[in-house]
Amino acid sequence: MSEVDMAVIKPEMMKSYIWLQTVDGSIQQVEQEVAMFCPMICQEVIQKGMGSSKNYAISLPQRVNPAMLSLVLDYCRFHQVPGRSNKERKSFDEKFIRMDTKRLCELTSAADSLQLKPLVDLTSRALARIIEGKTPEEIREIFHLPDDLTEEEKLEPLKNTTDDPRIRLLNRLYAKKRKELKEREKLKNVEAEEERVDDRSVDDLLSFINGGSEDSKTSKSSKNKKKHRKRKDHQKSTCSTETVEVHNKDSNGINSPCQSVGADNETQSSPSGTTKLQDVDDDIFPSNDVDIDDEIDPALKEKIDREVEDFARRLNSDWPERMQELLSLGQDRRPVHFSSVNGNGSLRIYGNWQFDVCNECHLMSSCIPYNFFLAIYNLNA
Amino acid sequence: MGDVEPLDLISDLPQSIIESILMRLPIRDAVRTSILSTKWRYRWTTLTHLVFDDKSVKVYNNDRAPFESYLVKFITRALFLHQGPIHKFQLSTSNLQCCPDIDQWILFLSRCDIKELVLELGEGEWFRVPSCLFRCKRLTRLELSRCEFDPPPTFKGFSCLKSLSLHQVLVAPETIENLISSCPLLESLSLSYFDSLALTICAPNLKYLCLEGEFADIYLENTPLLVAMSVAMYMTDDIAEHFEQSSNCNFLNFLGSVPLLERLVGHIYFTKYLSLGEDPGRDQITYNHLKIIELYQVSFEDMKEILVVLRLITNSPNLMELRISGSSNTLAAIEAQDVDFWSEDCPKDCTFKQLTFVKMTDMSGVPHEMQFIKFLLANSPVLKTLSIIPCAYVMDGRLNMLIQLNKFRRASSDVEVLFIQDEDEEAPCVS
Repeated sequence: MSEVDMAVIKPEMMKSYIWLQTVDGSIQQVEQEVAMFCPMICQEVIQKGMGSSKNYAISLPQRVNPAMLSLVLDYCRFHQVPGRSNKERKSFDEKFIRMDTKRLCELTSAADSLQLKPLVDLTSRALARIIEGKTPEEIREIFHLPDDLTEEEKLEPLKNTTDDPRIRLLNRLYAKKRKELKEREKLKNVEAEEERVDDRSVDDLLSFINGGSEDSKTSKSSKNKKKHRKRKDHQKSTCSTETVEVHNKDSNGINSPCQSVGADNETQSSPSGTTKLQDVDDDIFPSNDVDIDDEIDPALKEKIDREVEDFARRLNSDWPERMQELLSLGQDRRPVHFSSVNGNGSLRIYGNWQFDVCNECHLMSSCIPYNFFLAIYNLNA
Repeated sequence: MGDVEPLDLISDLPQSIIESILMRLPIRDAVRTSILSTKWRYRWTTLTHLVFDDKSVKVYNNDRAPFESYLVKFITRALFLHQGPIHKFQLSTSNLQCCPDIDQWILFLSRCDIKELVLELGEGEWFRVPSCLFRCKRLTRLELSRCEFDPPPTFKGFSCLKSLSLHQVLVAPETIENLISSCPLLESLSLSYFDSLALTICAPNLKYLCLEGEFADIYLENTPLLVAMSVAMYMTDDIAEHFEQSSNCNFLNFLGSVPLLERLVGHIYFTKYLSLGEDPGRDQITYNHLKIIELYQVSFEDMKEILVVLRLITNSPNLMELRISGSSNTLAAIEAQDVDFWSEDCPKDCTFKQLTFVKMTDMSGVPHEMQFIKFLLANSPVLKTLSIIPCAYVMDGRLNMLIQLNKFRRASSDVEVLFIQDEDEEAPCVS
């Protein structure tokens, strides 16, 4: 085929060729003006006098396999012809990069190793276009990236957001949670925890977050608030990774409040009556969570984990709409709205929250108070 | 889930490729790659080009105040996380005005080997360029909009600067003159929205000049390499009066020493401006490189402006493309007294040997316009296209214009004369 091409391009017989060898050992001859379009080959020819015969074939870099070489040569064959208009070149390029992502990556790599900068530019622009606007989930899927960052690492940037006391609180909650998780791991117990439905506590919490210690609640509700907070904090410590189980259970319809947990927590809490952040900070964490360690068989746990993961992924896939929806709902501060969205408020929020951080990323501070709100709500769920 | 993980397609590509990809992503997407996987964690942080705009931050309602603060935080954190040199920093946003963070960014950038700096902020309060900017010795490109520009007395110029663009910038005339002459490598200069500025430009390496505003006097004193120039002149009564009194020959001030000029574009009152002042000498300058002339809003009732146009085109032996738009005061132009100029005084022995394309827009069909077209047709042996687009307000004269056009002798047998009634419809009638 290449010979037919050659005949079309230059019918005369006096024609020079360059011999190229790919890593698999195969050798082929290529029209000189086409091959020399690649700076790497050009250098080999000029500086080392290679490529003039089969015995002195230029060994191409490993990243240029025969399939890629033929693509690269197609590109060179078109562009080495002088006098083509920009429009022609553009439309060729556009068609040329229509290929699957895997080949596109290989081609970029091959072009790079041949130092063919225009083609590297073209293909990396195409790759950039693939990435642009996608969620991390989507990008990972397209390029088969391992999801090897821990949630903690994904959240790390939150630590940088400094002087907001709420963020500090959140970070402290997380630190505690991580500690708890480690201890839990040692016990090698599988836990499940039931969810308690308590709208009021979230309301209270929100008014608290919003500086509402002077709100119209009675002292009794304030005391309740305290307890709830305590409970929530406690639960927080079991949350994030384990939350999935909890939530999953919810989605399976097992949604019976666990009185014992609540009772334990309440006995541990020492109502101080104040609603300052400091207090929350200080007496957040009750110690042992023996009560939560119910018997769940490991196989079941694994299954649940899987389901939750899948579910979370699905939730995360359309995060922008969700996010928007949530943000508008968030202004209402009615947890009942959250639950109404997909019948499982907490799991959904967990998914979104996680993603919110991911997508807005390190630098995106806009949602931090909101993250915080979600986190707290999540804990309380 | 039990499947074998397919091979990672992209992470192990050489860093140069990854950078090349990241460079082509909007900064928001580039930064977000840090939570893809451990290999991507810090890859974006060595990007040398950082471009921020209104799309770098997303907000879910259209409040401006939070947007502004998100954008500020986003940029600040990006700079914090960044490592290594930053060669280009661009911020184009209509949502951000003067804010103290800008000073800090510029200070930060001044320590990062910054080469290109572009700051386009929103309307409203203008920011004052912090003094640390003047210590960015390696700047090659500087573009500023809506700011106050006042270098410290110790400032000795940007020795590497090649491109300078100041748009709506508050700066003293002598400051700008000094700035221009203290940037020895300056190749491209763009000044817009300057008021009543008298400017003498000394820039031995200048190739591209773009001016827009109410300039009082412009003198291209030392710009021997100028290749392209685009000037839009606005005139207030003050300036017009100044011109009346001035004895400078604007034509020579502007076009007296630009022997390499290839393209000249004049808008609004530029032609009028060139026509003012008395030409002391009779020495003709030849523009051997001038290939494209575009003059907009030429008053065809003003003989002086017509003479400017003629002077330019007859002294440009290699002219290929001519675009002129009219802005005739129809009544005055119809009664023009000196129409016999075209039969008596106009240069007879000139030929436009290279002219292939002429486009005349906003034609009212007044005598001088038609005579000018006749002159071009008669002296352009290789003309391929002559497009005439009548002024939208002239309806009655169109037929008359066509009849006249038909009569004109054509030096080029190939010429296609297009009379385009409605530019949008693109349905010209060929005469």
